[in-house]
Amino acid sequence: MKKAVMLLMISALVAGSLFANGQQEAAADETIVLKVMGYGDNSNQEGISWKRIVETFEAENPNIDIQDELLYDEAYHQKVTARLASGDVPHVAYMGADARWGAPWKEAGQQYDMTKDIDTAQYDINLIPKMGPKGERYYIPMGTSNMTTVLYMNKNLVESMGFSQPRTYEDLVAMVPAAKAAGIEVVSIDGADGWAWGSCLMSALVARTTGDLNFVSKAVAGTKSFTDEGFVAALALIERMVKDGVISEKSVLVDYGTNTSNFNNEKALFMVQGQWAAGSIENPNVKDDMVLMAWPKMPGEKAAANNTVAAAWQVGYGVTKAGASDAAVLDAAVKFINFFNSEAEVEQRLRDGAIVAPILKGYVTPSDLPNAVTQKVLLAQNAVECEVIDAFLTGDPNDALNTGMQKIASGLATPAEVAAEVEALARK
Amino acid sequence: MKQRDRKALVFYIGMVAPGLAIYLSIVAYPVFYSVWLSFTDFNPNAGGVGNFMGFFHYKAMLENPEFWHSLKNNMIVVAVSVFGQIPIGFILAYILYRKMVRAEKFFQSMVFLPQFLSTIVIGILWKRLFVADGPVSTIMQLATGDPSAQFDLMLRPETVMIPIGIALIWMYTGFYMVIFLANLQKMNVNMIEAAKIDGATEPQIFGRIILPLLTGTIIVSSVLAIAGSLKGFDLIFAMTTQGLQRDNASVLPIYMYETAFRDYSNPMRFAYGAAISNAIVAISIVMIGISNWIGKHMSQDEVY
Repeated sequence: MKKAVMLLMISALVAGSLFANGQQEAAADETIVLKVMGYGDNSNQEGISWKRIVETFEAENPNIDIQDELLYDEAYHQKVTARLASGDVPHVAYMGADARWGAPWKEAGQQYDMTKDIDTAQYDINLIPKMGPKGERYYIPMGTSNMTTVLYMNKNLVESMGFSQPRTYEDLVAMVPAAKAAGIEVVSIDGADGWAWGSCLMSALVARTTGDLNFVSKAVAGTKSFTDEGFVAALALIERMVKDGVISEKSVLVDYGTNTSNFNNEKALFMVQGQWAAGSIENPNVKDDMVLMAWPKMPGEKAAANNTVAAAWQVGYGVTKAGASDAAVLDAAVKFINFFNSEAEVEQRLRDGAIVAPILKGYVTPSDLPNAVTQKVLLAQNAVECEVIDAFLTGDPNDALNTGMQKIASGLATPAEVAAEVEALARK
Repeated sequence: MKQRDRKALVFYIGMVAPGLAIYLSIVAYPVFYSVWLSFTDFNPNAGGVGNFMGFFHYKAMLENPEFWHSLKNNMIVVAVSVFGQIPIGFILAYILYRKMVRAEKFFQSMVFLPQFLSTIVIGILWKRLFVADGPVSTIMQLATGDPSAQFDLMLRPETVMIPIGIALIWMYTGFYMVIFLANLQKMNVNMIEAAKIDGATEPQIFGRIILPLLTGTIIVSSVLAIAGSLKGFDLIFAMTTQGLQRDNASVLPIYMYETAFRDYSNPMRFAYGAAISNAIVAISIVMIGISNWIGKHMSQDEVY
């Protein structure tokens, strides 16, 4: 009997230990599901790279299953709002920390301070800005600052018409008759998109006419007013540009794709866009010799704001609070973000024209970079940075400003009327 | 209750309950939630507890000119649907039914074709027609001899609904045409033949026989058109770019979306958006009620 009990106990012990081992193995084999919200679409380089990165990462990390959703432009912003409001929070997401890219995450309380998770051997921590009130870093930016008011110049075309790089606004005006005779635009802008006026043009003009690089944040805070003389003067410059023919009246009907296409196809001497559009210039006659520059000296420009280019923190991928609430998911999330920012991928991004400069530690810039990238670096080194409007101004006041600038360009509103409307909404 | 009746009741509940449960959770719950939300300051994104705000959002909505602008555009869409798509659909169906054209199957398929396309694809297609130096502008330039001529109706609030109305007619007329054609084909041909023998002309056949017989179909189509017009979002959204064009062409669902999903300067935007949604539902009920009332007075026997 004793032998039988002993045998039973040993059997139970062996079975128990085997079961425990099995459980440990099961835990080790357990797949971690990482919900990721990416940015891009299948037709652009960002989207194509994204798919490749996700597939390679999953192949190298079979215990991590990435459930990704790739969205672009307005669709991305809509889905962020909808997912956060419904409680379906991704673990990793493309995000920023300003009024445009950070507001939903901040409102939902989903910003997670990644400072302690940042691998200082991989990243130059000094190049990652402190984003929160206590120096929090909510995401890993894809690059250094993101210039939004870049003037792309088709150097060959400008020179073929007997002109050189403009130093003043009057130099641009002087090109109008020749450009009109040739049936091309002087400055092309995707004026059908409301945001383009604010992010890619007005942000630089405000600094020039107010002489204050931080005018927008002060106006949002209420220490300055959108009806101040300098701000109205910046709006009046848009009116003047259209009147002088520097920007065409029809630009209000030109969308983003048509704008880059016009510049690519040499239908414009200059194009206004952010630095990210450099990757869309594919015509070798244009891209190999184009110059990326700040707006030349504008009428009424204050000396303190000469050569300004508006720039915001570059967006990137960060972990949400939902992702950080589980240690295993957090580890997987950080691993994926680091993979996304591996040197090979970052260099590809640099060559594709998606970023100005990497934030990797000890990164040596290759000497054979394309002209667009070299131009960006030169501009970033030489220009003075000022604020991007929609990094601070959001919602109805920002929409009213963007729409107002389209109305000014179409002759449907005056600068003073638009300024008054924005000020009223900002103080509401 | 007899055992037989009890069995029938259990069977009845068993048949109805799943559908009712799905209806309550998918349709009724969001409606009641939206009504509740509109009377609070609750922000689902920020969480917390909602405070009762009474009619605050409804008052703000009625005082906002954007609401009235969007409502006006919505009424234009309703008018285009009821007085544009339905009559044209009816006429096309009549032409096909009376075989006034050859290759009627081809024309029927062509008019119905937009129904097979995604609304977003159609929106982008029409948007491309109206861009600077696009196809429509090019035709204008050729016709006027002015190389700077541009199709700029989308830039003005008083004209923006013209191109949108044309796109709406192009997209939905085929749907109503098929409804009318199906009902025309159900008609007793002998009646028309008898009228012909009695010397009735084509307009008389149309006005005195076919039109009265299709009153019910016209009313049902009107109800569908009104309901569809008030909830219409996708085509106008896809046809316009964010900014001046979309502001000009804003209808109530777009106004609701812009408020609830984009206006981060308003922490009560979801509740305000819910108030706009409820207004859309209320306006739909009123308009469909009017359609029913008209229908009842035109045809005593039918309920719509």
